Amino acid sequence: MNQVVVHPERCVGCMQCMLACATAHSQSGTLFGATLEQPLPKSRIHVGAGRFNEGFPNRCRHCDPAPCQAACLAGAINRVANTGTVMINPDRCINCASCAMACPYGVIRFHEDPLGPPNRQIAVKCDNCSSRVVRGLIPACVEVCKTGTLTWETVDDAMRRKNREVSRAMSSGGPGQPAVPDGVALLKTIKQAELEIGER
Amino acid sequence: MKHVIIGNGIAGVSAAEAIRELDAKAAITMIGDETFPPYSRPMISSVLEGSQPHSKLPIRPKGFYNDLSIEPCLGQRATAIDILGHRVVLADGSTVGYDRLLIAAGADPRPVNATGLELQNIFYMRTEAHSAAQVAALPGATKAVVLGGGLVGFKAAYGLLRRGLQVTMLITSGYPLSMQVDPVAGQMIMDEMSRYGLTVEVGVSVTGFTGSGKVAAVETDDGRSLPCDLVIIGKGVLPCRDFIPRGQIAVDLGVVVNEFMQTSAANIYAAGDVAELIDLARGRRWVNALWPEAASQGRVAGYNMAGRQVAYPGSLSRNVMRVFELDVLTLGDANPGDTSGYEIVQSGGPTSNIYRRLVIKENRLIGAVFINEIEQGGILRALIENQVPLRLPATKMVRRGFNFGQLV
Repeated sequence: MNQVVVHPERCVGCMQCMLACATAHSQSGTLFGATLEQPLPKSRIHVGAGRFNEGFPNRCRHCDPAPCQAACLAGAINRVANTGTVMINPDRCINCASCAMACPYGVIRFHEDPLGPPNRQIAVKCDNCSSRVVRGLIPACVEVCKTGTLTWETVDDAMRRKNREVSRAMSSGGPGQPAVPDGVALLKTIKQAELEIGER
Repeated sequence: MKHVIIGNGIAGVSAAEAIRELDAKAAITMIGDETFPPYSRPMISSVLEGSQPHSKLPIRPKGFYNDLSIEPCLGQRATAIDILGHRVVLADGSTVGYDRLLIAAGADPRPVNATGLELQNIFYMRTEAHSAAQVAALPGATKAVVLGGGLVGFKAAYGLLRRGLQVTMLITSGYPLSMQVDPVAGQMIMDEMSRYGLTVEVGVSVTGFTGSGKVAAVETDDGRSLPCDLVIIGKGVLPCRDFIPRGQIAVDLGVVVNEFMQTSAANIYAAGDVAELIDLARGRRWVNALWPEAASQGRVAGYNMAGRQVAYPGSLSRNVMRVFELDVLTLGDANPGDTSGYEIVQSGGPTSNIYRRLVIKENRLIGAVFINEIEQGGILRALIENQVPLRLPATKMVRRGFNFGQLV
């Protein structure tokens, strides 16, 4: 089963995934339409700054078992059997934030959602773009990612590919192949150096 | 195998589900005082506040007992456990035999020692029935007194303020939420509540209630009489342990259990608000009467009862409260009395409207208070629960941009 796999070492922090996610979860479904909507649609993937100011895309892991589901006071969180996606029922959510206390990754936000009940704040998180996937599309964040940080594949495939990349990078036989594209590696080095100089 | 569960709160319900998950055939009997379908106890404060209807309280289907082939024995409490005879004695004198027993009897509101408690419109805040009665008493009520400045008291006061009543909160201790937060956070919460009309009086106890039929005033220990037409008593809870034979089952404040949720008596387990077990942040036994704790403990107890040995590393206090524009999250030992040997890192405060406080002992996080921007709180909970040494300086963890990526 395909799922969104994150390769954080490739992220350059461009935040295009956030724009695409907010657009995908808007009423109009278009970027320009979304900017005019009330409430303003918000991203469910969160690119934060890592320890060295590198980009870090953070999204729901759809854990199994899911701590948020176990902690939900209102019984509003469930898992969709065939896809494994953990979903929040916007009409049962009471906005108590118990899930925020349970989530070990800090990926749940609280705000009014264009697709939820009007004038009410609720817990919002990644839904694996379920409504796009049933239409044969891939999740919006993956579609827009330019660096291969977000991929849509089976975990087995992702692991195999990663293993190959690392093996080649470590290979002593030749020049080797970098595990991360040269441009991305350079950008991260510059950011880290910048930070270290600033802290000196 | 015959399993008997005393209590049909979330600990008992979670245990029954866990047993059924592993064993389709075992007999399960649930003894419960409340006859209402399994419901979300914390949500009763939303009912008082008016943000959720009473009808939304149930969190299991109507046919819960039937669907899981559980024999319900509802409407009465257990009054004794006959350990030698392997049976539970009920209020009406009948008995229920068991092979494995779970004590998930929960807790009762801590009573107040005052006269006039029989007057109308004096409520505890513990069950769906309490919340229904509170809501029924709201029309016509204008002045309320809330006893207790803990979480229950605050939720009651918040609900009544949202309903438009004038609310006075009487607290015996020095500042509100003193069990949960440090004085800085306590002040921020009190300021917010005061801004919306709450009157808080500290260091005051109640000696009695007066009125004819209905409560009309509260008498305080400093000799005053405060007029009111509604009272909510929220002075915390005490584990239901009266029916437990003390000589045969180890009981401290709660029923003492080991990491497999076993009591000191063979084949008897305990979970939820009645259980006392190691607190991960404090490193000693503690009763954490909290809903998510009860759910987890119940599930683990159920697995162990059904024969699959599962350890529960320990409990952890945690709470989140949303009052008006303030989100308050507390974790673990956020306010240790004696702070020698602890490292305490704080940022923000009343002027910035954001406050973060971390309590660290031997380079491990053991407690935290967050006011506003609480979305990353779960990361801290995981750090406390996993008891991992901190790799990131605490001064960076209290910054606004702190996120999971910085720990990787």
